[in-house]
Amino acid sequence: MVNRTTAAPMVHLDNVSKNYGAVQALRSTHLEVRRGEFLTLLGPSGSGKTTLLNMIAGMTGPSDGQIWIDGRDVTEVPPSRRGIGMVFQNYALMPHMTIFQNIAFPLEIRRIPADEIRQRVMKVLEIVRLPNVAERKPKELSGGQQQRVSLARCIVYNPSLILMDEPLGALDKNLRDQMQLEIRRLHSELGITIVYVTHDQEEALNMSDRIMLMNGGSVEQLDTPHDLYYAPRTRFAAEFIGRSSLIPSEMIGGGQARLNDGSVVRVNRGANAGKGHLMVRPESMRLVQAGNVDAGMNALQGTLQGTLVTGGSITHFVAHSSNTTLIVQELANERRTAFTSGEQISVTWPVDAGIFLDR
Amino acid sequence: MMVGSGGELRLVGIAAWSILAFLILPSLIIIPIGFGNSNEIIFPPNRFGIELFVRFFTEPGWVSATLVSLRVACATTFLSVVVGVPAAYALSRGRFPGKRLLALFLLSPIMVPGVVVAVALYIYFARIGLRDGDVRLVLGHVVATLPFVIVTASAGLRQVDPALETAATIMGASRFYLFRRVTLPLIRPSIIAGALFAFLISFDEVVISWFVARADTTTLPVKMFSSIQWEVSAVLAAISTMLTALSALVCLAVARLQGKESA
Repeated sequence: MVNRTTAAPMVHLDNVSKNYGAVQALRSTHLEVRRGEFLTLLGPSGSGKTTLLNMIAGMTGPSDGQIWIDGRDVTEVPPSRRGIGMVFQNYALMPHMTIFQNIAFPLEIRRIPADEIRQRVMKVLEIVRLPNVAERKPKELSGGQQQRVSLARCIVYNPSLILMDEPLGALDKNLRDQMQLEIRRLHSELGITIVYVTHDQEEALNMSDRIMLMNGGSVEQLDTPHDLYYAPRTRFAAEFIGRSSLIPSEMIGGGQARLNDGSVVRVNRGANAGKGHLMVRPESMRLVQAGNVDAGMNALQGTLQGTLVTGGSITHFVAHSSNTTLIVQELANERRTAFTSGEQISVTWPVDAGIFLDR
Repeated sequence: MMVGSGGELRLVGIAAWSILAFLILPSLIIIPIGFGNSNEIIFPPNRFGIELFVRFFTEPGWVSATLVSLRVACATTFLSVVVGVPAAYALSRGRFPGKRLLALFLLSPIMVPGVVVAVALYIYFARIGLRDGDVRLVLGHVVATLPFVIVTASAGLRQVDPALETAATIMGASRFYLFRRVTLPLIRPSIIAGALFAFLISFDEVVISWFVARADTTTLPVKMFSSIQWEVSAVLAAISTMLTALSALVCLAVARLQGKESA
């Protein structure tokens, strides 16, 4: 028993795939979610992330492959016997029950004595910081409060794994940020394993230990938020997460890439040959006066198209002759020469900041 | 752009109210006649009183026919809810071959003329040798009421958020537990509305009852219908008044239920 729980990953997908008729919703996928990990399935709609979540929950069965939860093969086990919890976008609280009854519901299913139910419900309401709502009905609470109740309903029966299907999708921006912190807090305090689905890359970057980026029914990249941001492996990953300048180019050996206007820049990593795109993150780039380039920096000439000042940061858009827009982001309080739209300028970045993507 | 002039709008209004009056006035005229003390059906009555209602309770046959109707309506309501609600649940949640065909079959009594159903039942009951008057009436009425219970229960089931059932399942609820604790409480108003309709339809039913009722089990509408062939008794107006009141009460109850449901 002890051996099993320490050795096995919390979730293990072994070559799991899903077809709907002739449509392949999920290509053969392998995934191991570690015990206590916060893993996010990130991707646009139709990427297969919800299909994957539904298969872990047991709401749909895989066309092929096996699913293991907590060291147990659950491929043929119905959702009610998987011992997991789930949080939904629309909260899915029972409208005919009070908050107390809602949270007591999973405990009643488990035939727990009434006085213990009362204790556990009250305790979990304090954990989610809603101690005084027990006798209210769900519709008397705000969206954020309802989602906290639905978190409470999940953690009250200590499932080994909690699935979250866009739980903050129905909340407004401020509340979303607050709830992100709340979920992170519960995750670290209670040591639960969470598989989280979202299409919001910022949310994924904020919360996750690892992100599985999905696209068109297959895994694009599985990495930490840091590596996904600074070392995307595909053009899709670079574009989906954060902003970036993507410049069509060709590797010519020696860690150098040639752009289609003939200029040559140095590249940090990526494939060593072939055609593709050079990717640079906006905060790695700087604007300087034309020709005034420090040695050891990559530089391209361009025309400043416009500048956006967003609170503490400034974003410049620079047209490059390769028909690409370079995005440069700087801090607003930095002292620097003011540039005007239409001006010819140089964009520079450290030689190790560029990544060549051949896919 | 078309804008109806004031005159046109007024004409449409007058037409609408006239049609409504044409449809509803006969039922309303019955009420003062029911409170008349005359032995003939006269409008307006020359004297008022409750003599006709007293006659309903004292003349032989009326009360016993009413009791038959009540008994049959209660049994019909019970049976159509017990059969109709699970049927609606299976049709809306289940996945099995022939589902659409089954739905069509269960709702077909709405589409088939009542008299056809009545004749068919008459022949069928004779063929299988079913002689018990109450059972014949209840089974006949269930054919007519079942579609209404299924339709209202299905409408209620459509309102239930599927995520609620998914959530309960993932929390560990069995199918039966889920139905009892989540689905059933949520569709209770629809079930009550369907039951009230079933009761009303059964209590009012004439055509099927006329064909399948036996001499010893006459329902109130059948007795009214047969009595009017011999004499135009003013008691009928009193009975009609009570039936109208019953219908109005049931419709009000249903409207309140549906208001609660959508709130």
